Amino acid sequence: MNRLRERGIRPALLVGFLFIVALVATGCSSRSHGTFKFDGGAFLAYLDPRTSPLQSALYLTVAISIVAQLLGVVLGIFAALGKMARFAPFRIVANLYIWIFRGTPLLIQLMFFFYGFGAAGIFDWPDDMLGLPAKGAIYAATIILGINEGAYMAEIVRAGIMSVDPGQTEAAKSLGMTYRLTMSRIVLPQAARVIIPPLGNEFNNMLKTTSLISVLGVIETYNYYVTQQGLKFNPFEAYAAGALWFLLMTTVWSFVQGRIERRFAKGTTPTADVRGPGFASRLMALRAPIEQ
Amino acid sequence: MSIQHQVEISHNLLGAIGGVPRPEADVVVDARDVNKWFGRLHVLKDVCLQVKRGETVVVIGPSGSGKTTFIRTVNHLEKIQGGRIFVNGHLIGYREANGGKKLVEDKENNIARQRQEIGMVFQRFNLFPHMTALENIMEAPVHVRSQPKAEAEATAQALLERVGLAAKANVYPNQLSGGQQQRIAIARALAMKPALMLFDEPTSALDPEMIGEVLEVMKELAREGMTMIVVSHEMGFAREVANRVVMMDEGQVVEEGTPAQIFGAPTQERTKSFLSKIL
Repeated sequence: MNRLRERGIRPALLVGFLFIVALVATGCSSRSHGTFKFDGGAFLAYLDPRTSPLQSALYLTVAISIVAQLLGVVLGIFAALGKMARFAPFRIVANLYIWIFRGTPLLIQLMFFFYGFGAAGIFDWPDDMLGLPAKGAIYAATIILGINEGAYMAEIVRAGIMSVDPGQTEAAKSLGMTYRLTMSRIVLPQAARVIIPPLGNEFNNMLKTTSLISVLGVIETYNYYVTQQGLKFNPFEAYAAGALWFLLMTTVWSFVQGRIERRFAKGTTPTADVRGPGFASRLMALRAPIEQ
Repeated sequence: MSIQHQVEISHNLLGAIGGVPRPEADVVVDARDVNKWFGRLHVLKDVCLQVKRGETVVVIGPSGSGKTTFIRTVNHLEKIQGGRIFVNGHLIGYREANGGKKLVEDKENNIARQRQEIGMVFQRFNLFPHMTALENIMEAPVHVRSQPKAEAEATAQALLERVGLAAKANVYPNQLSGGQQQRIAIARALAMKPALMLFDEPTSALDPEMIGEVLEVMKELAREGMTMIVVSHEMGFAREVANRVVMMDEGQVVEEGTPAQIFGAPTQERTKSFLSKIL
């Protein structure tokens, strides 16, 4: 326990985390609700990371989330720059994109661009895009999630860019920098500081939102448990295990996010070099606040 | 002044960038009948100004007189609606169309190239906060001029030494005082080897005890032959360093002359009343 504390992790909260697992596993099994009897063995079997279909389901959740989020960030940057462009057609395209993808349900977007486009013969998602073999549904899911995310990222990126002092752009221009250089070297790196905390929240959301792509038949984490409980008729154990896996993924992410935020904080405050907890871990309160 | 002793600028400042950058023409800045409107507000009215090679021109005048707006038109941070501004004989920010009757804004890349020749120092320093002092100075030579990193770093280091901040190379701007930041901002502009330096109220945002160290660097530059336009309220600096003082009011050049003429025997009523208020 003391070793954990030295590393700034609060033992109390770690215990709390394990308590949830214990509560579900043992606490529930001792009680019976009507004819329901908690199957602790099945629950633990559902959690077992050595199960190979579960591994591939978890892998899909994480991989699709990362690729979709990256696509979302890139699209978001372009949409934000488009929205702020002097050239009117850029603004119109960017606004149209944001309007449509923020204004319609992701579920309908997934169904429409996969089944709808397929049925209309507009675009049939091939099973080997970019020379990589996977199901067409996986490509469709990743790209549609990414496009949807881009519309939300656009507003986040725009707020980040607007938070940068206009004097920075003027200084860059006065040194002979072009618009591209000014953006890539001066404005976006500074905007990143403002963008990264909400971006972290977006990725946290993305990890969980991937459960929606089950409608395209992709066996990601959520769909894995849906199919499993359907075979064994134990939804309580299955969904509890599924929830725990998602909780683990988002928790790990919050630590990663804290590290990223600290790296981007350089040069912001005179004490930025102090290794303090990042936004996410402060939010999670899993780390004790640093004493100064 | 004790501050001047603290700041050791013993060596040649421009030596760090290989001597005085040679402008192509003897007249570095030639502004002719510059007119500018902000909406319906006429902020520059037929402003004319010539600056010769090696000259230091100080622009004075009450706030709202258009002096800052004017200096910002010289590197096209502000658009103009009438007149022409030439730097080194090149029309800045525009190209002539329709037989010279119309001005069309130049391509972004051309404007950027023209700005490489014109250094600018801002009232609020505008150092890049995510870069160290050294990186701030190296940024444009490396990414705009595609200079090899080692070469740019050597120049940056030499410039830092000349402005008395060699020890601060790896420090971020927020850990520096205003005076130190402004000296680094001057070094950053000099690293591009500009033929002309523009100073937009470089000491107005500084605590009084830091003004001296920045003015000292500017005096040094002027003495070494840099061509400079300085918008400033520092009359002591103007008196000592300026070849010419330009008085602006309500968007017009009211009067110009040597410091002795302007401060000793101003001919215009507006100059007299302005000087009586600030001296």
